[in-house]
Parts: sequence; structure tokens; C-alpha cells
Amino acid sequence: MLIETAIIEENVRIQGTERMLEGMLAYPNEHTEGTALIAGPHPFLGGDMRNNIVSSLFKALASCGAVTLAFNYGGVGASEGGPADWPAVMSKFWKSGTFDEEDDWADDTGSAMVSLRQWCDLPPILLGYSFGCWTTVKNLRDSCAKAIILISPNPKQHTFEQLSNCVAPLLVIHSENDFTCNVSETIEWFESIREPKTRIQLPASEHFFRGHEREVTQAVLTFLQLNHVLETEKHDHNH
Amino acid sequence: MTGKPFEVFLTGATGFLGHYMLAELLAHPHVRCRVLLRSPVSKSSARLTRLLGEIGLNLPSLIVEGRVAIVEGALPDSLRPADISGVDLILHAAGNTTFHANGSGEPAKTNIDGTRAILDAAASAGIPRFVFVSTAYVCGEQVGHQLEVFRPTIPQLRNDYEQSKWRAEQLVWDWGQRSGMATICRPSILFGDSRTGRASAMKGLYLVAKATEILARAMDDSREMDRHHISLRILGRSDATCNVVPIDWAARQIAEIALEPATESSVHHITNPDPPTHQEVKGWLEDYFDIAGGRFSDATWPLTDANHYEDLFYSLGNICLDYFRDGLTFESQCAAKLSPGRRLIDGSSFARCLKYAQATHWCRTPSGEKDIHPPSDSFDPTWYFEHFLPEAVPRSVVAKVEELTAIVQYTITGSIGGSWISRFDRGRLEETNAVPTTLKPEFEYRLSYEDLVDVVACRKPLQDVFFHGSAEMFGDVERALKMVPIIGEFLKEFPVNGKENPLMECRTGVAC
Ligand SMILES: NC(=O)c1ccc[n+]([C@@H]2O[C@H](COP(=O)([O-])OP(=O)(O)OC[C@H]3O[C@@H](n4cnc5c(N)ncnc54)[C@H](OP(=O)(O)O)[C@@H]3O)[C@@H](O)[C@H]2O)c1
Repeated sequence: MLIETAIIEENVRIQGTERMLEGMLAYPNEHTEGTALIAGPHPFLGGDMRNNIVSSLFKALASCGAVTLAFNYGGVGASEGGPADWPAVMSKFWKSGTFDEEDDWADDTGSAMVSLRQWCDLPPILLGYSFGCWTTVKNLRDSCAKAIILISPNPKQHTFEQLSNCVAPLLVIHSENDFTCNVSETIEWFESIREPKTRIQLPASEHFFRGHEREVTQAVLTFLQLNHVLETEKHDHNH
Repeated sequence: MTGKPFEVFLTGATGFLGHYMLAELLAHPHVRCRVLLRSPVSKSSARLTRLLGEIGLNLPSLIVEGRVAIVEGALPDSLRPADISGVDLILHAAGNTTFHANGSGEPAKTNIDGTRAILDAAASAGIPRFVFVSTAYVCGEQVGHQLEVFRPTIPQLRNDYEQSKWRAEQLVWDWGQRSGMATICRPSILFGDSRTGRASAMKGLYLVAKATEILARAMDDSREMDRHHISLRILGRSDATCNVVPIDWAARQIAEIALEPATESSVHHITNPDPPTHQEVKGWLEDYFDIAGGRFSDATWPLTDANHYEDLFYSLGNICLDYFRDGLTFESQCAAKLSPGRRLIDGSSFARCLKYAQATHWCRTPSGEKDIHPPSDSFDPTWYFEHFLPEAVPRSVVAKVEELTAIVQYTITGSIGGSWISRFDRGRLEETNAVPTTLKPEFEYRLSYEDLVDVVACRKPLQDVFFHGSAEMFGDVERALKMVPIIGEFLKEFPVNGKENPLMECRTGVAC
């Protein structure tokens, strides 16, 4: 039997490297159990903290007891900064799909981890979606993560070498029809990375998981429960 | 000819061929022309003034001198017998060159019904001679030597355009049997002015050149492929010929045929006796754009296994299909008059035409002539895509995204919907056309009219409409998604408050 737990949401400010970032913090008004940080997709590809997958996970994790932080990368929403020469950066991105200033967004994820640690000093669950998988894994070294969840990672575009620096249980969720990286490429990469790891391929979905947010969230919560990271059974994550 | 005024009624004067023919007719001092212009006549006459001005004629002075008179009307519906009464000759060059019927009734409406209407008017007004501009390709799929005769049985034709021109020829020929003298002129593919390279429309072989430019631009940036060894299949045979004729030569031939007294109905091919082979055209294009590597192929269209370079080359459609034909030659009396060894089109005149085409951005209409009709009470997507975007995008941040090269389709669903395709080249919005068009989109955004109204007014970010709403992306979704922030910046710069504001300030493309 799932019971809905009321959550409290707050707008927060995160001190980034030379810039303030906006974030949202959510937690249950009673008992809290651990922390979670969600890094969203690429700011140029629909990446903000109100993204469908980010907001679905945000609410579900908080109602399961985790003090959960989602944030906007520099230049997105009310977060300061972002690429200075927008047309030039956009040109580069259009051509190659990447540019140097992306490292600043990885630093933003690191700053969000530090802030979360300051507010609640517990090992976090780290969740990355799409580009957020890369910004999360880039910051693994000092994170003491309790679990790592990567949704729609793109190993063709990014390297995830730092995964080997962390022994926390890893969940990879990917779709059956992802335009960024196909199933066989994802599986091949998954086979090559360290244990302990779990892979879930969601049927009938694509990179954005539109209309499949609930399945993604369910998969995450089940994994956390099986690995004794969060006690999810008494909570409702059907928001 | 005598010095007595000779009056010609000319249709299609604002067209590529028409304004050159008008100039050729007026080169004969005793000729006066009545030209049929479509409404609004202020716009059509402004266009004709510009076109004639570019070839050294002054329309206002010609009108004052009585050499040119303007008649307002359109085919097939609004031509009055009085408009043509008393003329010595009708030269009917108005035509619709859409290859495939698109639901608007064209090309049949203008080419068949329009020709019938003007023939009927000519018969009732007792006009003695009718000269019709047809096309050499009424021969359809036939190969071999085509004679200058009317062919009473319909051949296998390739598209609705050819079909409509053949039907029109049939009407004209019948009229010649009953009412007067019919002359049919059949030009092949019209190309730029042999002296200056000038052209006022870029169809036909220009599309092949434009596609080559798209490919060449991509090669400027390509690290994967050597620009001189591009992997590209060109659909056609290398040794077949491409029958192109310079516009100035074609116009002069038709004007001369028209002004020459006729004793019987006749057919004339305005064709090139020594046309370039496909291999030659390929060589000229390769030299001009500094690329090489394409090879002729008998692969069938559409290419199901097209590579990236083929996708780019064929992004305007199968441009070769309608222009590269095998095994055709034409009897032509006027071509026979050419001095031996003189080629109508060679490598240097071809390059001159390409230079002109590039200098004029492939004939984009000067912005002063744009026909902007902002909607009076509700937001009009046609106005937005066809008029507002071409005005605003060049002045926006999009124009600075120098790598932005894409063909994008926007489909707006609902009762005030429609579908448009834009081609961006290095940040420049080169064209936006309503579907159907020959442009082949790489990706498509599909959203409701209501969402569009909110998105253009910046009330809803496009990405929200996609992630949380009902909008869809099709085709190359990755590129579609990458374009969203570019569109987002544009919308922030140029919001259009669709429902509350009748967009009057947007006439000039200024954001509301
Ligand atoms: N282009 C070629 O390669 C080629 C080759 C062979 C034969 N032709 C034939 O040559 C003729 C001229 O072609 P073009 O390339 O010069 O075409 P164009 O540039 O598209 O010009 C067409 C002309 O016809 C007028 N027109 C179109 N529909 C009309 C209508 N319903 N009522 C009255 N006027 C109308 C247009 O007026 P607006 O300016 O108002 O639109 C314009 O003046 C056509 O008959 C075409 O079939 C062309």
C-alpha cells in the first residue's frame, strides 16, 4: 500500500564558481532519509530543472524521504552566467554538438553537490539525465555517493572514466529508441564499466521519455529500495 | 515589316521569359505592347519596372510614349474581350511552372483553363494570330529526334506541368484550325542572359547549381571527406545532354517568329543545337564550386541508402530528374541559323550565370517589393512564416549563428494551420516556402495553432510546449532539439503578440 507523503519545496541559491545558481530543494515535512541531487539535460537541449524527467524524479525522491536538489545550470532561468559569445558558442554547438564552456556546467554540478552537502551532510544519491550523466560522473571523485543513477547517458559523446573511482551501486536506464545512442552501443558501453551495476531498458520509449516519466521514476525507486538506499515502499511516487 | 504600328497583346510580361520578350518586341520601333498584369497592378507594374530597368528600359517612359499599355487581369477568369480587341497578335507567355498538381488547381488552371479563356476571347475579338509559348518537353518520355510538328496524340508525359502544356498546345492548334493562325514556340530549359549572366528566376538547372552550392558549402567545413573526392551519385547518364538555352537568345527567337508574318500554323523549337552533356555541366559546376568526385549512376529515386553528402545534394528534391534527360534531340529552324561553331552556352557563360545567381542570393525578391499583409484580427501563420520571418531573421541573432545550415519544416495543426519549410544557410534564412515545395526538410516541428500563438508571443517557451505539451518533433530530432534554443533567442528578440495586437507594427518586421 503506497501512502502519499507531503513535501516541502523551497527555492534556493547555490554558490557556483564565480556565479550564483538557482535551485529547488524538496524534502518531506516529517522524517528525512538521505539526500539526492539531480543534474538535468544540456541547457541547449531543453535542460532546465523543470524538465519532465527532472521534475518527476524530484518530487518522487523527496516524497520518499530524500532531501532532493535540482538546479539550473549557468545561464538557464535565473542562474547567472552562461556562454558569453552566444552566437559563436551556438555555432560551435550546432556544428560539433559540444564546446569548451560545457566544462563550466560540469563545475555547476560540483557546486550543487557541495551546497547539498552543506545543507545536509549525508552521502547523496546522484542522478544525471542525458548531459547531466556526464556532469554528474565528472564530479564523482569527492562525492561519497550512496548510489548513482544515469538516465539516457550518451557514451558516444561523453567519457565516463571517473565511474571507476566510485564503488556505489550504479543504475543505467536507457530507452529502446534513443536518437543519441542506440541500444547496442549503450549495452556495449555498459558491459565495459565496473560492477556493481544494473541496466534497465525501458520499452516503447525514446530519449525524452515523454509519457514514460512514471516508469522511469518507478525504476529508480525500485533500484534504490533493492539496494537499501531508500525505503520507498511506504511512499507514493505517483505525482 | 512596314512602319505601321503593330499591336501585340502580351501575357506573362513579369515573368523570366516575358520581360525579355517584351524588351525584344519593343526593340522594333513600330511595335506597341499591351501587357496583362495581375492585381494588384501597382505591385505588378512596380515589379515590371524593376525587371525592365535591369535590362535598360524605362517602363514609365514607355507608357508615356504609348509603346506600352497596362491591362489588369488574370487567367482564366478576368480577361475582357475589350482588353484584346484590335491587336494584331497575342503572345501568350503566362504560364504556371509548378511541376506537380498541389491541390490549388495549378498548373492546369493557368495553363489549360487560362489558355482556353484567352483563345475564346481571341476568337470572339477576331484576332488573326496567336503565338503560344509552350515547352520543348511536351515530347514527354519520348527519345530520339523531335520534329517541329504538333503531335495530335498525347505522349507519355512526366508531370502535370508537361501534361498541361500539351493540353494547351492542343487547344491552340485547334484554334489555329478554326479561327486564325497559331504559332507554337517550344523553348527548352531557360538559363541566364548569355551576355551578363542575369536571370530573374532560378528554376531548372539553377536548382542543380544551388544544390551543388549547398554541397560545396558543407565541404568547406568537412573534415571527414576530401572536397575533391565526394561520394555522390548523380542520377543520370554522363553522355546525355542538358538542353539549356540563354534567356536573351530564346526571347529574341520567339519575338522574331512572332513578328514574322505567318502563312500557316507552325511549331518552333527554341532549343540548343549543341547542348552541354551532363558530364560537361558537372565539370563546369565542379570547376566553379571547386569540388569533385560525384559519379553518374543509374540508381533509382528516391535513394534509400543516401549518404550524408547525397542527403545534402538532394535536399532540394530530385533536381536531376526533371532536367537531365537521355537521348533527345530537337529539330530547330531558328537554331539552324546560328553560325557554325558558336555554342549558345559554354563554360564561361555558365560560370557568368552562376556568379550572377550567387550575387543575387539566387534571386531573392528585393525586400521593398514584399507583399506583407498582416492579418487584421487574428494571428496569421502564413504571414508569420512567409513575410515576418524573412524580414526579421536576417536582423536577429540567428543570422550570427554562422554554422546554422538546415532545412526545417513547421507544421501548424488546426483550422488556421499549414506547413512551411525554411532553408537556412550559414545563419541566413535563404527561403521559406509553403508546402508543397521541392525543399526536403531534415526535421519538423509540429504544433497546434494555439501553441504557436503562445510561442511567438513568448508566453510559452518552445521547449515547454515540446516537453510538457503536445508539440512533436520529427526527422532528425537531435538537430531539431539543437535548433530550439536558437529559435528561443529569436523569439525573445522578435516576439509577436498575435492575439492582442493586430501586428500593424510588424509590417516592417519590427517586433511588437
Ligand atoms: N522557365 C523555363 O525554363 C521554361 C522552359 C520552357 C518553357 N517555359 C514556358 O515559358 C513561359 C514563361 O515561363 P517563365 O519561366 O518566364 O515563368 P515565370 O517566370 O514563372 O513567369 C510566369 C508569368 O506568367 C504570369 N502568370 C502566371 N499565372 C498567371 C495567371 N493565372 N494569369 C495571368 N498571368 C499569370 C506571371 O505573372 P505574375 O508575375 O503575376 O506571377 C508571370 O508573368 C511559361 O509558359 C512556361 O511554361 C519556361
